Amino acid sequence: MSRYYEFFCPVKVIAGHAALEHLPYELTAIESTRPMIVTDQGVRAAGLLDPVISACQESEVTIAAIYDEVPPDSSTTIVRDIANLYRQQQCDALIAIGGGSSIDTAKAVNILVSEGGDDIAAYSGAGVLTRPLRPFFVIPTTAGTGSEVTSVAVIADRERSVKLPFTSSFLLPNAAIIDPRMTLTLPPHITAATAMDALTHATEAYTCLSKNPLSDAYATAAVKKIGQSLMKVMDNPGDEQGRLDLAEASTMAGIAFSNSMVGLVHALGHATGALTHLPHGLCMSLYLPYVLEYNLEEIREPLSELLLFLEGPEVWTATPASRRAEATISAIRHLRDELHHHCELPRTLRETGKVQEGQLDQIARQALDDGSIIYNPREASLKDIQEILKKAWG
Amino acid sequence: MFEKLSRSAGLRARRHYVQAMFRFMGHALEAISQVDRKVMDDARLLPNGLIFQMMVLPSGPSLVLEHTGEGRLRYLGPNYDGEVDLSIRFKHMAHAFLVLSFQEKTTEAFANDRMVVDGDISLAVRMTRVLDRMESIILPRLIASRAVKEYPDDLGLLQKVPGAIGVYRRVAFSMLRDLRKEALPI
Ligand SMILES: [Fe+2]
Repeated sequence: MSRYYEFFCPVKVIAGHAALEHLPYELTAIESTRPMIVTDQGVRAAGLLDPVISACQESEVTIAAIYDEVPPDSSTTIVRDIANLYRQQQCDALIAIGGGSSIDTAKAVNILVSEGGDDIAAYSGAGVLTRPLRPFFVIPTTAGTGSEVTSVAVIADRERSVKLPFTSSFLLPNAAIIDPRMTLTLPPHITAATAMDALTHATEAYTCLSKNPLSDAYATAAVKKIGQSLMKVMDNPGDEQGRLDLAEASTMAGIAFSNSMVGLVHALGHATGALTHLPHGLCMSLYLPYVLEYNLEEIREPLSELLLFLEGPEVWTATPASRRAEATISAIRHLRDELHHHCELPRTLRETGKVQEGQLDQIARQALDDGSIIYNPREASLKDIQEILKKAWG
Repeated sequence: MFEKLSRSAGLRARRHYVQAMFRFMGHALEAISQVDRKVMDDARLLPNGLIFQMMVLPSGPSLVLEHTGEGRLRYLGPNYDGEVDLSIRFKHMAHAFLVLSFQEKTTEAFANDRMVVDGDISLAVRMTRVLDRMESIILPRLIASRAVKEYPDDLGLLQKVPGAIGVYRRVAFSMLRDLRKEALPI
């Protein structure tokens, strides 16, 4: 039987040198005159709002409101506050500037301001939304999450202490604007961790059960760009082309995994993040090699192919076909060690200093119930997961 | 004309098969959740009183189970139409048939977007494991290993399975035999 698959990505990508200056034209094209910016303090402090605002001013587009206090873990009350501000100021479009949290928050705000009401929880789940939302633009300031091209958002409901998932293709922005200026000043350890998140998106998309020819194309292109540019950018953070490569890789990996899903690395990462608040990208870096080892016999072929994209044609031809899958894993381990050398990105759970060995069992149990585990090529049991965690502990 | 007739007969047969399979799975899950430790361990963490439904869009048939506590599941019959807490819905009868005739694994069906989940995803993950386990126990090994992601290694000696389960295995065998008569590739 031939494979069946679905692939969907209606997001316009506006990328490269002077990309930000295209925003006013895009806003005018949909007759938006009162856009609102949703962002966080870090973005403002890094001066990243300035080029956006001045690009708009020069084209006579006024930003009607700015909310710049999105926390790293956004919540339903923040979504409600921002929606109220949007209504008060009679805004007509949303611009998210930031990483995963600002983008997810803006997606949720868009639900409220389009559908009405104050209770975002009412829209939680899949397939609840049935029509397009308000105009929405995303300007990522990290190169990792790929949230600018995914149709999900997760918002914490603190009163009931649950995380609310929202899934709908209507959450996708009209356009993602990828400008190297926005990631140029990203600190080394965040550059490293977010790039490892993107690498994990691409690798899992390429090796898990939902892989398909279209997501494969995006995944391999993303791996190639990360392989070529990550260490260059670590050596020379001001490398504009390298920064753009990583940002593009992140978007491509986002397109890949939102169409073919992720697997056990993310199941472990979600559980670890929820229980220990370790940054998501770091979790990916810690677990990726061990999960690939665990899945190895099921994914030997695609993993062998990734060597070509990660290490280039010379290494690929010099490696015997039967050793290529292992060589891909070694290359990823090597990358992890290099990053540790450059910016002390931890190599093991122990090295993070933020996880207790006693927490591993709880992480394993929670990972077993994570939605991503369905797409992992091997059926991981509690014991399997505990063993992977033991290795990642160090 | 004849072609049309036999086509609709085929579609009717498919619907009957899915209906029968749902009913069979309902009884089998209820029986297995009384004896199999792995199923009970997975089901135990479901909220008490949780109503789980697997159905074919737009309007059935469906399989509805209740978790009555301690990992035990109760089959609520083919005509249940009350509230449900967790629902896995096949987009089309054809997709339900692929899965229930073991031509496509449940996890594969997820990966292929054949189904939509309404409710807590982590509970759907658990229920998928329970369904896989039931299939591994009930089905002949050759078919089960095509139906589930990884055939469990603790099922080597199926003779050990308690008496009641044996009945379900025999029913499964005869359903599969009938399917085979209709020249399906299973
Ligand atoms: Fe990720």
